[in-house]
Amino acid sequence: MLKHLRNRLISSLLSLAALIVIVFFLSRLTGDPSALYLPLDASIESRENFREINGLNDPLIVQFSSFAKDIVQFDFGKSLRTSRPALEMVLEAFIWTLQLALITIALVILVATVIGSLAAFNVGGLFDRVATVVSLIGASAPDFWIAIVGILIFSIGFGWLPTSGTGSLLHWVLPVAILFIRPFGLITQVVRNSMIAALHAPYTKTARAKGAGPRRIIFGHSLRNAALPIVTVMGDQAAGMLNGAVIVETIFGFPGVGKLMIDSILMRDFSVILASIVVTAIAILLMNILIDLSYAALDPRTRA
Amino acid sequence: MSFTLHRGLVAALLLGCSFPAYAQDERRVKIVLGEEAQLIDPCMASRSDVGRVVLQNISETLTVLDPRSADLRPRLAMSWTQVDDDTWQFKLREGVKFSDGTAFDAKDVAHSIARTTSGAINCEIGVKYFGGLDISTDVIDPQTIEITTNPAQPILPVLMSTMTIVPEETAMDEHTRSPVGTGPYIFDEWKAGQSISLSRNPSYWGETPEVEGATYLFRSDRSVAALMVENGEADIVPNIAVQDATNTDTDFAYPNSETFFLRIDTQVAPLNDRRVREALNLAIDREAFKGSILSSEVVSATQIVPPTTIGSNDNLTPYPYDPEKARSLIEEARADGVPVDTPIKLIGRTGIFPNGTEVMEAMQAMLSDAGFKVDLNMYDVAEWENFYTKPFAEDRSPQIIQLQHDNAKGDPVFSMFFKYHSDGLQSVLEDDEVDRLIDEATVATGETRADLWKQLFARLHDDIISDIVMFHMVGYTRVSERLDFEPSIATNSELQLAEISFR
Repeated sequence: MLKHLRNRLISSLLSLAALIVIVFFLSRLTGDPSALYLPLDASIESRENFREINGLNDPLIVQFSSFAKDIVQFDFGKSLRTSRPALEMVLEAFIWTLQLALITIALVILVATVIGSLAAFNVGGLFDRVATVVSLIGASAPDFWIAIVGILIFSIGFGWLPTSGTGSLLHWVLPVAILFIRPFGLITQVVRNSMIAALHAPYTKTARAKGAGPRRIIFGHSLRNAALPIVTVMGDQAAGMLNGAVIVETIFGFPGVGKLMIDSILMRDFSVILASIVVTAIAILLMNILIDLSYAALDPRTRA
Repeated sequence: MSFTLHRGLVAALLLGCSFPAYAQDERRVKIVLGEEAQLIDPCMASRSDVGRVVLQNISETLTVLDPRSADLRPRLAMSWTQVDDDTWQFKLREGVKFSDGTAFDAKDVAHSIARTTSGAINCEIGVKYFGGLDISTDVIDPQTIEITTNPAQPILPVLMSTMTIVPEETAMDEHTRSPVGTGPYIFDEWKAGQSISLSRNPSYWGETPEVEGATYLFRSDRSVAALMVENGEADIVPNIAVQDATNTDTDFAYPNSETFFLRIDTQVAPLNDRRVREALNLAIDREAFKGSILSSEVVSATQIVPPTTIGSNDNLTPYPYDPEKARSLIEEARADGVPVDTPIKLIGRTGIFPNGTEVMEAMQAMLSDAGFKVDLNMYDVAEWENFYTKPFAEDRSPQIIQLQHDNAKGDPVFSMFFKYHSDGLQSVLEDDEVDRLIDEATVATGETRADLWKQLFARLHDDIISDIVMFHMVGYTRVSERLDFEPSIATNSELQLAEISFR
């Protein structure tokens, strides 16, 4: 297992290095940032001055070697937009994204596991049919539409929740709920299907024969064996959330890393683009290691 | 009553014990901007996102131009006189202090001008209004300063309405994130990604404004932003889309000093033929846009500056919608060997204004109906700028490019050189008469100046047909019913809290 983790770490770091090189050069091919930071009427001299003071006139390879030296010390430089350290901006935003993702993931795991398991226990029953319909709607719902409808109903209609922003627990309700819907639908289906297989496995029949009750059969015997595909799909969903939930962040004015990344790309804010990619890539790398560890915890055969 | 109680109980339950955080402070206002201001340095206040926070709230200028009446009024300067062709003398207001407690004097003005125009930090005001201008200052005494420019600027006092004044101690080579000014409000706090807060300046030299403070929030989704006023979470939301402006009690339309037009590349065939350019104008049904995908209150335009600008030519009339005549002009040009079947590249800019893409799609259809072959290409601003600004590609195809121009400064000089002079960075024209009129109008004063600008507008619209000039645009702002505030043409670039009161 340790060898596996070491290999995983090495390959991830190599991928990260390749990613940084590719993003560095590609982002600089997307246009001159002076067009975005200076008025359209700016003179050629002003544009030249802008490029000079921001080091954009140097040959690309010189810019890259300077960047590579700094990045080793985790210095990504300053944002063109805000003149603030890029890493500081990204970490501020990433904390919001991380909180949003962790709360949502925890809720999804809890609710989807319970509902998916109960649906699988009585396949074809009323609960199963309702759960399947609800989860399929959730898995296919367009989140921007649900978000707007949610605001119209719960903020404007009932006046229970703020439309957007941050500042109180209430501000989290709609963003978390919207982020929750799609992974909930997907994970519920995965749990249900995995559990159907597990509940028909020989060891479950043995447990029934030994007189185990439904709760013990579901949560004691079957769920652990059904958990590997659930962990895999949940890991994939979580990686998506750590990249930032752009639609939710945009609609609800949540200052997360997804919107920061998109804005930085649109504004050719190179330092922030690279800092956000590195930070999210490291987070996903760590999460993948956690998933590997959870595989080992769930299935002793993977510990070898 | 019971419904209100029910709402309160749910909120209290969800919060644990407190009331909703979005309840309004009685004498503070919340303003929702489209994007977070990335810098709130006073020298960047010509950007609307910065200007709405900083301009005349935190930082003041020597003069103030009222865009509604085009009157120039004193602010930090009490009076100004022209010493000679190149030099103006400004007498400054006494007894003014910055919010850090230091006294305001002529040295601060000299420092502000030097900082804004030095290029060390690319101040937008310096680049936008003082580019290509050598400017020097002479501090005569603490309340008197002389400002010299090369070339001479007959409208220097108007230009000074853009120059925000900062204390002498403000760093030359670094943007500030906590601006200090002489205005009626002081900067309190910036919560990155969330809000910026201002509070009333207790030592302000002028009248005490009614609003005690302001919080600026950021929402790029303007539909949600508009709903915030409806939900009592905000008081003012500038720039909502026409389709969201559904409440006549709260939603105000106002001319926003922007003019929407399309520049025709007069250098490349078939667009180098005047008949073809006239046909382009005749092919567009301007009335069809009003009240459909654009506001019913946009005004058909004949020049790229608002009608309140000096030298605006009232004698010009917009081209009518006449597709038949357009077709006959195209055939006439074809008969003379003009390659009218060459595909024309119609270049649009994504996000230029609400429904800007839909407008371009409709124009493409209208031009095609008239017989033109038109390809529509939408670009983001960085790519679009490659087509807009010199150097232009030598082997380019015929192009028509979508533009929106803002001139709230009351004088065409801020627009015409860049866009029409043969040396202008965005000009496709090389016309001696146009160059002469711009050169002469720039240094003229009074009636002569206005008359020269009028001649220029006629030359461009009637003789050359350099553009497809569309509309003087309107903006929509939603204002809470608890406020007594009506947006105006100025709201596009600033939002003076001191002009707001409560009902």
